[in-house]
Amino acid sequence: MTQERFIDLIRAEQEPLRRFLLGLCCGDDALADDIAQDALVRAYVASGKFLGLSKFSTWLFRIAYNCYIDHCRKPGRAHAALESREALAVPSGDASDGRFRYQQLYQALEKIPEKEKVAIVLFYFEDKSIKEISAILDMPAGTVKYHLSSGRGHLKQYIQL
Amino acid sequence: MSELEQYLKDHKPVVKDDPTFLLEAQRRMEAVSGIKDEVDRQRRHGRWALVIALCAGLILGVAVSAVAFFFPVNPESMGQGILDSLRLFLQDYREYLLLLPTALLAIALALVLFRNKKGSAWGAL
Repeated sequence: MTQERFIDLIRAEQEPLRRFLLGLCCGDDALADDIAQDALVRAYVASGKFLGLSKFSTWLFRIAYNCYIDHCRKPGRAHAALESREALAVPSGDASDGRFRYQQLYQALEKIPEKEKVAIVLFYFEDKSIKEISAILDMPAGTVKYHLSSGRGHLKQYIQL
Repeated sequence: MSELEQYLKDHKPVVKDDPTFLLEAQRRMEAVSGIKDEVDRQRRHGRWALVIALCAGLILGVAVSAVAFFFPVNPESMGQGILDSLRLFLQDYREYLLLLPTALLAIALALVLFRNKKGSAWGAL
């Protein structure tokens, strides 16, 4: 796959991809974009392996999720994430209204297990079907449904409706 | 739809409009184009190795079958014990026995390459 063709494909997918990672990173847009860039580079290097057995977006989201997991496993990540969340919690300038709107949601997402978080983000924010989520996360559809149900249960404890 | 589900649908994260995002992605892609060329080259080699291994397995399989067909085992040995039959078999086919491990190796190589290829179909990185 040529670079031009690849850029054409990701042009349509960049916004959903960044939004997906923004949800996973609980509102840390700098980190989300950094992981998205990393995912795009990895996808480009591996683009010759894409056989078209699934949708391009499914394949790309799977790579992005793997990049996110790799980031989570990096040593010292917990401390950096905490500092980043603290910075986000301080309202400053025009962005503060937007952050307050999402603050409760992001704080709740931060408290639930990773598998539940990713299932919730893909299902409710990206409108992915159970089948697509199953392919992205490489887990059976029943397990995805379980994580969704469990995630909703946990979110209810943290979100005041 | 429950209240929570409605809340989640109403609170989809909004990404900042960043025109430099794709430009930065493009810059990074150009930086790794050498790595991509190497990955593509290795993949092509892998594909050739797979085809060669499959052909070798097929040819050797046919050769072994032909040997077994044209040089049948002595029927008298069928009535004897397993160990004697095995000994006679080894005696009868000793000059062709080298083909057997070679065929097994070729088939094993083909299977390993096929499994690797299948595993990478998703691009699980």
